[in-house]
Amino acid sequence: MLRPQVWKKVRARAPVIGLAALLLAGCQTVPSTLPVAEPRPAAACSWPLGEQAPRALLGDAVAALEAEGFLIRHTDLALGLVSAERTRILPGYGDRYDRWDRRGVFGGIGGGRGGVSSGVMIGFGGVGSLTRDATQLERVSLLAGEGEVRVSRDIQVIDWRGELVEARSASTTEFCRGLRDAIEAGGRP
Amino acid sequence: MSRWLAVSLLALLLAGCATSPAREPPRELDFAYAPEATLRASAQVLMANGYVVRHADAELGRLEAVFSRWPGYRVRVEVSGEGERSRVSLTASRGGRPLPPQTLDRLLVEMQEQLGMWR
Repeated sequence: MLRPQVWKKVRARAPVIGLAALLLAGCQTVPSTLPVAEPRPAAACSWPLGEQAPRALLGDAVAALEAEGFLIRHTDLALGLVSAERTRILPGYGDRYDRWDRRGVFGGIGGGRGGVSSGVMIGFGGVGSLTRDATQLERVSLLAGEGEVRVSRDIQVIDWRGELVEARSASTTEFCRGLRDAIEAGGRP
Repeated sequence: MSRWLAVSLLALLLAGCATSPAREPPRELDFAYAPEATLRASAQVLMANGYVVRHADAELGRLEAVFSRWPGYRVRVEVSGEGERSRVSLTASRGGRPLPPQTLDRLLVEMQEQLGMWR
């Protein structure tokens, strides 16, 4: 049993202690398990290999991915794996999200220089819209073996500052069906 | 007294943020399957969960997969062994910081199931 005076002291500090516990707990937000894609990869992203040898399919898969503009990053024939990526510029992506920023640039220059030169302002606007394009990075892996072909894909969008603004898993029916059709057509578009 | 309390509170707070060790031990398990089959099973299970395999080499016995969700997840699989025995060693990171080994338990269970289906 605590003596009443000690208890009173502890009670007086309770909010501080509680706050400290909360703060420390905030530092420890580690997930208990690895994340999985939600929604799950589409059923079209896995199909039977059939009679075809995995190696022949991988050759067609490399050709099909390259025809789609992908850069092959890595292949491993023993496992039956192809890993590829594709980047694409998304023009004006930043404009949709950073209106306030752009106005800041105009306001800052305009306010600072007064009416000295409108040419400077137009020049800045032009550069801004060029550099504010975001880059979309699409990563794909394909595994063939054990009588099955499986595809997974994700998409990241990196803005003009080099920051990751969008990251999602994208093993969609549309993409996987398109890739399967291209592979079955022998990798030629 | 109150200053002492504030200083110790701050020290505790900072310590709490810094206790995540630079390296977590890998999650390891022995499988009664050939190393190549075990590595293929890890690729199959990771891809079925939406992960993209960036690099895998059967001879080196290693695989690296990523998951696209902020702040970015990465899983590394290392397989050693010979014949019908293999030892799997898994590590994962979230935003560049290592994740505790127990987060990888489900992946090992799913790999076991996958290998059982192939046999």
